[in-house]
Amino acid sequence: MKLMMNTDCIKPPQIIILIFLAVLLGLAHFLKMDLAGLFNESLIKLVMNGVLVLSLIPMLNAGAGMNFGLPVGITGGLIGMCIAVNFRLAGWPGFLMSLLLSVVICGILGWIYGLILNRVKGREEIAGTFIGLSLIPLMNYFWTLAPFQNRQMLYPIGGQGLRPKITLEPYFYNILDNFSLVKLGALEIPLGLLGFYGLICLGLYLFFRTKAGRAAMATGENEAFARLSGIDIAGARLLAIILSTVIAGIGICVYSQSYGFIQLYDAPLAMYFPAISAVLIGGSTGRRAFIFQAVLGAYLLQTIYLLTVPIANEILIPEITEILRTLITYSIILYALLYRERQRGIGH
Amino acid sequence: MENILEVKELSKAYHGVPALIDINLSVKAGEIHGIVGANGSGKSTLMNILFGNPIVRETGGYQGEILYRGRRIHPKSCGEAIRLGIGMAHQEFALVPDLTIAENIKLGRERTWKFTDRLFGPKYSFVDRKRNAAGAAQVLHKLGLDVDVGIKVINLATNTKQFVELAREIDRRDIQLLLLDEPTAVLSKRDGLKLIEVLMEMSQAGLGIIFISHRLEEVGHICDRVTVLRDGRVVSRYNKGEISISQLARDMIGHRVNKAIAPARDLNTRPVISFRQFSVDMPGEALKGLDLTVFEGEILGLISLSGHGKLALGYGLMGLYPAAGEVIYKHQRIDQMDARANIRKGIYVLPDDRQGLGILPEHSLADNIIFTGNQVKNLFAKNMVRPFGFLDQKKADLHVGQLVDELEIKCTSIKQKIRELSGGNQQKVCMARALTVDPKLLFVAEPTRGIDISAKEKILKLLIDLNRTKQTTIVIASSELDELKRVCDRIAVLVEGKVFKILSPDSPEVEFGLALADEKGNQ
Repeated sequence: MKLMMNTDCIKPPQIIILIFLAVLLGLAHFLKMDLAGLFNESLIKLVMNGVLVLSLIPMLNAGAGMNFGLPVGITGGLIGMCIAVNFRLAGWPGFLMSLLLSVVICGILGWIYGLILNRVKGREEIAGTFIGLSLIPLMNYFWTLAPFQNRQMLYPIGGQGLRPKITLEPYFYNILDNFSLVKLGALEIPLGLLGFYGLICLGLYLFFRTKAGRAAMATGENEAFARLSGIDIAGARLLAIILSTVIAGIGICVYSQSYGFIQLYDAPLAMYFPAISAVLIGGSTGRRAFIFQAVLGAYLLQTIYLLTVPIANEILIPEITEILRTLITYSIILYALLYRERQRGIGH
Repeated sequence: MENILEVKELSKAYHGVPALIDINLSVKAGEIHGIVGANGSGKSTLMNILFGNPIVRETGGYQGEILYRGRRIHPKSCGEAIRLGIGMAHQEFALVPDLTIAENIKLGRERTWKFTDRLFGPKYSFVDRKRNAAGAAQVLHKLGLDVDVGIKVINLATNTKQFVELAREIDRRDIQLLLLDEPTAVLSKRDGLKLIEVLMEMSQAGLGIIFISHRLEEVGHICDRVTVLRDGRVVSRYNKGEISISQLARDMIGHRVNKAIAPARDLNTRPVISFRQFSVDMPGEALKGLDLTVFEGEILGLISLSGHGKLALGYGLMGLYPAAGEVIYKHQRIDQMDARANIRKGIYVLPDDRQGLGILPEHSLADNIIFTGNQVKNLFAKNMVRPFGFLDQKKADLHVGQLVDELEIKCTSIKQKIRELSGGNQQKVCMARALTVDPKLLFVAEPTRGIDISAKEKILKLLIDLNRTKQTTIVIASSELDELKRVCDRIAVLVEGKVFKILSPDSPEVEFGLALADEKGNQ
């Protein structure tokens, strides 16, 4: 069960974030906001972003660093959804087809991505960032030129090129959110959504119990040890990177069905900082991550996001909470990087 | 003559492990004072303290006092030591690879243009390259080396680098005490002699020199006094004229209480593995064309000074470092040094660097024990589609439990993280992993390094038992001669990456001391 446990004690980032959350909750209560409604929404937000956060775990644990190349997996997922929507597959067939296509496309993209990252061992994070950044303009051409036929996806004028935001309203908007939704008074528990999330967590947990998963984990923890034990280092890392990419593809499908739109063009670039902050907020040092940390981090971060906007609107200084939120998110990435460097310094 | 340096009751410990104990030492002006000792005897620690290496302060400083020209000093940084007039030539060179020879030699005391001196002050003045180059060439010439001083240091051969390192120190005019850590180790005999000439000349000019070397002949030749260190203590001191090489060798190695003993045997068995012209490119520990045959069922010891290649043999075989040459294992050539394939063939390597190579620190000791066996030999696996098979936890735990009892591993439970265990217990876990893999040929490097005495004996006993009961062939690379002598059937002495001599464990210690220091015959 060790992957599920948070074995590290609570550290400064968690304390700061918890204090901030407590202050926000206090304010929300003071302003007589609908706490039950906020709680309902926080569960949706958790899964909506949580799958993307989970996608970081295989790479982290295999020693390939935090996946700053998250746009690679997201792009795969977007292509999958666009194809499903192009053929006007609505409801469950549409969503399941999106997932299936995403998994296949992300598998291929992840394989290529992994081959590249294996060549830049030790600098995966910066390489990943730039792979993501350079993939975006390439994909912009694709979105503009690819022969999609569904008029609802295309620019209304001219009829060519995909829109930046494709509505999912007639296809599979909220399909997972509303699946087995249980109402308990004011509380609405999205059992289907949470169940789907739980399945992915369980899948990851089981992966790290398999021989291949153990090899990947050992590679991340002590590569020289793994090599001396006859582990195929490149193979173990490649497997983890493909897995990360595939989960990222699934993650964007879940995100989009909640959000209601497929966001194309530069949108994937806005996704990876929150995901990475979340896993760090959950208590990961950026060397390895437990599933528990990814879940906790995603919940804390998204709840803060959720609370800040209405509170800011209420107290009429819209800037301040937004500024604090950005500040805290990015400071925590910085803190984690510094903390990790220091640990590395002590280790040698 | 006055004492330039006086060290009184100097002690230093790293994390509770004593490295130096009550060292007393003095160096007179114009004296060359030799220091000899085996690896880990505390020579480098002593130099680090004298030269103000920050590592000393970071690990808690030292006790005792150092008097430099009668004044008490407490060097906190290398800069401070340099300002006091202490110079040091390092064993692993402290040169800037991308600068030229001249720039390296003159670094920090470049000659500058007078005009810009006045205009910008000496700190921001322009450097007069020509005069620097001429000065550098002059110093090198004194050392018997004529090279283009415009060449970058990165392009130089090792022995030339050693000269540049020395030239930098010799070039300093304010220098009063020179610390030399194995200056001749990388030099040929002829270059070494030239260097010694220069050193003697310098000492006659009133410079105090501390000279560390493994070449006992050299030490006997040039030193006015020699101090022998062993296990952090001064064990003996000789004046010029009283120095005998065999006595130094005996003092260096010393005698200890023996416990785990395996009588040496004369095994007439077939070779299990033979190396022909085997080279391993392991930085700082390279093997260069080694020829060695290991016989079935024996325990072979490998001993060498550090840097002479005893550790590289197993690592090279496992493909951890690039290797070349021919290896015949059980009548078959091993073409690829691939860890997985070789473990399957029955070869296993236990590394010397436990923290770096030997354990998964965040994993439980159970995981550490079964990892390699599970991964490579598919032990404890449930019958499922490989590589996604799960572990048969019950079977694995049972196995681990048995080994923990058998090897007396002290832990709270088999799920305890291995980094929480002591060094000795970690080593036992490594042994347990080897037992799980069950190799036919086991390479062990420094099995007893950094662990307490009782654990040491236990580890040695385990190795002997493994050899006697399972007929496992074992190759032990170690710097602990007395341990090798107790356990091994034969001991190979490695010098400069080659087998220098294969000795019987019953050979006298002097013979080992001489072989290690590359001295031929009886002098």
